[in-house]
Amino acid sequence: MTHIEYKHLLIFGSFMAVGWFLFIFFWPRMMLYVYKRAIHVKGFGDGPIPVNTLYTQRQALFADPLHPPASVPKLATTGVNRDTLITIGWWDLGKGPQILHVPDMAGRYYSVQFTDPSRNTNFAYVGKRTTGTEAGDYLIAGPGWKGAVPQGMTQISSPNNSVLVAGRVFVESESDLPTAYNLAKQIQVVPLIRQPSE
Amino acid sequence: MSIVSRWIVVSLLLALAVRFAMLHVLEFHSHPRSIATEVFQGLIAGGVLGCFTADVFARIKLTTVNGWITLFGCGLPGNGMLFRAACALIFLGPVNTPQEAMYWIARKSGAGRKLDGRHDYRMHFPPGGLPPNDAFWSLTMGDARNRFVANRIHRYSVSDHSGLVLNADGSVDIYIQNTAPTGHECNWLPAPGGKFILWLRVYVPGAAILDGKYEVPPIVEVNG
Repeated sequence: MTHIEYKHLLIFGSFMAVGWFLFIFFWPRMMLYVYKRAIHVKGFGDGPIPVNTLYTQRQALFADPLHPPASVPKLATTGVNRDTLITIGWWDLGKGPQILHVPDMAGRYYSVQFTDPSRNTNFAYVGKRTTGTEAGDYLIAGPGWKGAVPQGMTQISSPNNSVLVAGRVFVESESDLPTAYNLAKQIQVVPLIRQPSE
Repeated sequence: MSIVSRWIVVSLLLALAVRFAMLHVLEFHSHPRSIATEVFQGLIAGGVLGCFTADVFARIKLTTVNGWITLFGCGLPGNGMLFRAACALIFLGPVNTPQEAMYWIARKSGAGRKLDGRHDYRMHFPPGGLPPNDAFWSLTMGDARNRFVANRIHRYSVSDHSGLVLNADGSVDIYIQNTAPTGHECNWLPAPGGKFILWLRVYVPGAAILDGKYEVPPIVEVNG
């Protein structure tokens, strides 16, 4: 039998424990990093989706999921979902809060999910279940932000400056698709403080 | 025993087991080993074990009723590190919290046989037995690789808004098969010729779902 050096075993064992921890702890954020890259580099059908913006999937992709337009990357067509139009974006609150505007959904089911990408947990929802379907503005602020919340807005505190935002707007039928798309497009984001252009 | 000392004992025992396996099963006889090799191989072995741990943990947390599998509680803040890893391993992306939407997946019939379009299936919801919700529910078809299935009526899911026809007693039968069921086209969910999977989604699920009392009915294979 090969002689096992205990010093070596201790080193091997310690780094194995470290490797175990690294995988368990970082696996969720590695997965979401794939989404971050997809959003910023490829986009979901119309090129890259810039940081602090939102993009709604095309109607054509929903209407005929078997024949997605050539510009639509694989991640956007992964899985089978024919219930909702997807709106997606990756925000960075490091330079200040963002304001989410949602239109009057007139009773229609919708949700906007805010995900902390370092843990893949959802720290807030705006939508029919949580805030109702009336039009509204929500201030999403990063950790440590202190400032005045504009009147009429609800503050949502994010535990992380990076935020994955995923909107879902219910589509009742094919004839309802244009209406749903029009509403989904009105889910918008603007920064609290517009940087003066130079 | 403190967490740390338990951690050290467990990792040393695991290290011994992994090294023993490497020496005697995989026949790694690359002596003398440098410290760098120990570090590198330790990290790799740990990563693999971590993936294995998350997978085992996910399997423990999965609930299977009538062939339908679900993982309850993903996406909730406060979830432990191990559960978050398990969720990311199962769903591979951002997922709704259970209060917003619940997902079930079926690869097998209620009798435990793989779903296959060479057979015909029925899903029977008893009167009042449709999934309780405050938004909507849907049953979506996917082929063996989780892609939409082409069919002549361009139907990829059935749902509470797809025009399902109720039976006289208020129950609902869904016909899951490759060819159209004569007289029941409204309740037909077209299946591919080969293996398939089904997704049940319930948005804003009712209390009976959230407290685990609701049971999704089995998919039953029918003859002829």
